[in-house]
Amino acid sequence: MSLGLKEPRASKASPQNPASRKPASRKAPAQGRQPGSSIDVQRKKLLFPFVGPAFVLYTVLFIVPALGAVWISLHKWAGSGPMKFVGLDNYGRIFRDPLFLSSFGNTLLLLFVVGTAIFVLAFAMTLVLRDMAGKKVVRNVIFFPHLINALVFGVLAGFIFNPGGMVNSLLAPFGVTDPPKWLAQDNIFPLIMVTLVCTTTGYFTTILMAGVDRIPPYYYEDCALAGATAFQRLRYVILPLTWDVFGTCAVLWTISSVKIFEIVWVFGGSSGAGVPPTQSWTAAVYTYVNAFSGQSTPAYGAATASAVLSLALISVLVVLLRRAMRRDAVEF
Amino acid sequence: MSEYKLLAPLTTRRRGRRGVSPALRGERGVVRGIGVGLLWLVVAISIAALVWMVAQAFRDTRAILDDPWGVPASLDFGNFVRAWTVGDFAVATWNSLLTTVVSSVLTVAIAAPCAYYLSRVDNRLTRGLSLYFILGLGIPAQVILIPLFVMLNKVYLTDSIIGLNLVYIGVSMPFTVFLLTAFFRSLPLEMEEAAALDGTTAFGTFWRITLPLAKGGILTAFILQVISHWNETLLALTLLQSTEKYTLPVALISFVQQQTYSGADWGGLFAGLVIVVLPMLIIYVWLGRRLTEGLTLGMGK
Repeated sequence: MSLGLKEPRASKASPQNPASRKPASRKAPAQGRQPGSSIDVQRKKLLFPFVGPAFVLYTVLFIVPALGAVWISLHKWAGSGPMKFVGLDNYGRIFRDPLFLSSFGNTLLLLFVVGTAIFVLAFAMTLVLRDMAGKKVVRNVIFFPHLINALVFGVLAGFIFNPGGMVNSLLAPFGVTDPPKWLAQDNIFPLIMVTLVCTTTGYFTTILMAGVDRIPPYYYEDCALAGATAFQRLRYVILPLTWDVFGTCAVLWTISSVKIFEIVWVFGGSSGAGVPPTQSWTAAVYTYVNAFSGQSTPAYGAATASAVLSLALISVLVVLLRRAMRRDAVEF
Repeated sequence: MSEYKLLAPLTTRRRGRRGVSPALRGERGVVRGIGVGLLWLVVAISIAALVWMVAQAFRDTRAILDDPWGVPASLDFGNFVRAWTVGDFAVATWNSLLTTVVSSVLTVAIAAPCAYYLSRVDNRLTRGLSLYFILGLGIPAQVILIPLFVMLNKVYLTDSIIGLNLVYIGVSMPFTVFLLTAFFRSLPLEMEEAAALDGTTAFGTFWRITLPLAKGGILTAFILQVISHWNETLLALTLLQSTEKYTLPVALISFVQQQTYSGADWGGLFAGLVIVVLPMLIIYVWLGRRLTEGLTLGMGK
C-alpha cells in the first residue's frame, strides 16, 4: 500500500519511466487513458487549460502595459496624434523639471523617513505587545486601518485640521490661541507623512508580531536564566530570529510607498481645480496629473518616464534589500 | 539547557494559568508600563475615531461644524439619503459591489488552477512561470496606468465596468497566484495520490479532492481580493469618466471636489465615508482571523 502511494511521486523525477505505470494505470484503459500515463503525465497536459488563462490575462493586462510604459517613455506623445521618438530626452527633461524633482523627493521622504518611523514604532509596539495581556484585542484593532481606503484618512484629516476644527479646539485650553495653519500648502505634506505613520504602523506591527510569535518561549526562559538584560535579549534572540520578517516588511513598504496616491489626492479637501498643491505631490501624482488632469496638453512621455523611474527605484531597492538581508536563516 | 528541561513542565503549567511564563514576568519596568498604557490609548482612540465617524454621519453639517465632539440627537438618515441621491452614491455603490464581486470571483477562479499547476508540477518551466508571476508584485500601478488607458481606449473598454473588471483581474494575478501556490504546496499530497490510484483523472483530483481541501485558502484569497478591489482608486479614477460608471472611491473624490464649488456638506461626506468603510468593518469582524493569517502567511515567505 505504501509502495503504491509513493508511486506517483517517485515517477515525478522520470515521468516516462515505464516502471512507474503499474498501479495507477491498471484501470487506465477502461477510462480510455493512454497506457503508461501516470497522474503526473496527465497533469502536465493541463498546462494550457490551467495556466493559460491566468498567463494570458496577466501578460496582456500587466506585463504588456509595463513594457509599453518603457516604450512610451522614449517618445514625445500627447496621447493622440503621432508619436515622436526622442530617446532618453524625456528622462533628461523631467530631471530638469523642479516639479518632478520635488515630487520624487516627496516619494523618497515617504519611503525612507516615514518607513523608518513606521519600523521603529512597529518594532517597539511588537516588543510591548509580545507578552501583554489582551494582545489579541490590541492586534485586531490596530490592523483594521489597513483595510480602509486611504481616501478616508485624507478626508478626515481635512476635517480635523480645519481652522475651526477639532485639533485647534483641543489646543485652545492649552493657551494656543494662534495655532499653525495646518492645511497651508507647505504644511500638507508633513501632515500626510504623520497620517501615514499613524495608519500604517498597525499593519506592520501585525506582520512583525507573526514573526516574533514564532520564537519559542524557551529562548526567553534561557535568557532569564542566563541573566540577560532586556537589551541583550533583543540583540541576541529577537532580532536574529525575526530578521527575515524585517526583510519582508521592508520590501513590502518599498513597493507600497512608491504608489501612494489617493491620500495625497484628497488630503485636506480639494483645492480648487481638483489637483492638490504641488508641494505635496508624489511621483505617482506627478504621473497622473501629467497624463490625465486635462489642465495642459497631456505629456505621456514625461509621465511614463516618471513612472518608469519609480519602478527602477523599487527594483534597485528590492535587490539591495535582498542582498543586505541575506543571512544564514536561523533554523529554530 | 538542562535547567530548562527541569523547569519546562512547571513553566508550561503556570503559563496555562497566567498566560505568561514566570521567566518573562520579571520585567515590569516603568518604560514597559508606559508602553502598555500608550498601546491601550491607541486602541481607545482608534475605536473612538471609528464610532465618532459613524456618529457624525447622522448629524447635519451645521451641527457637525458647531460642535464636532457632539453626538447625534436622533437617528437621522438624511445624510445618507442625500449622499445616496445627490452624491450619486447609489449607482456608485452598485458599481463597486458588482465590480468587486465579479472581479474577485473571476480572479480566484482563474488563479486557482494556475497556482495548482505551479505547485504540483516542478520543472524548469513552472519555476520560470512562478518567477514571472512574482515579478508583477513589484510593479506599481502608475507604471501601467497610461499604456493600459491607451490599450483599452483602442478596444472601447475605457469608461466601462467590463474593462475595469478585466484590469482588476489581470492586476491581481501575481498576488493571488503567489498566495494560492504557497497554499496548495502546504496541502498534503496523499489524498490526491489515492484518488489518482483509484483512476480519477488529473482534472478530477483537482476538482474533487484539492479544491474542497483548499476551501479555506481560497476563501482567504477571495476576501483579500474583495478588500483590494473595493478600495482600489487610481485605476478606477483613470479608466472611468462618466458619473454613472463611477465606483465608490471615484464618487467620493468627485463628491469632495464638488464641495469646493457648492460649499462643504460634511454630513453627506461623512455618510459617504461610512458607506466606504462599513463593508470592510463587517468583513473584518466576520472573517478577521482568517484575514490577518492570510496576509501575514502570504507575506511571510
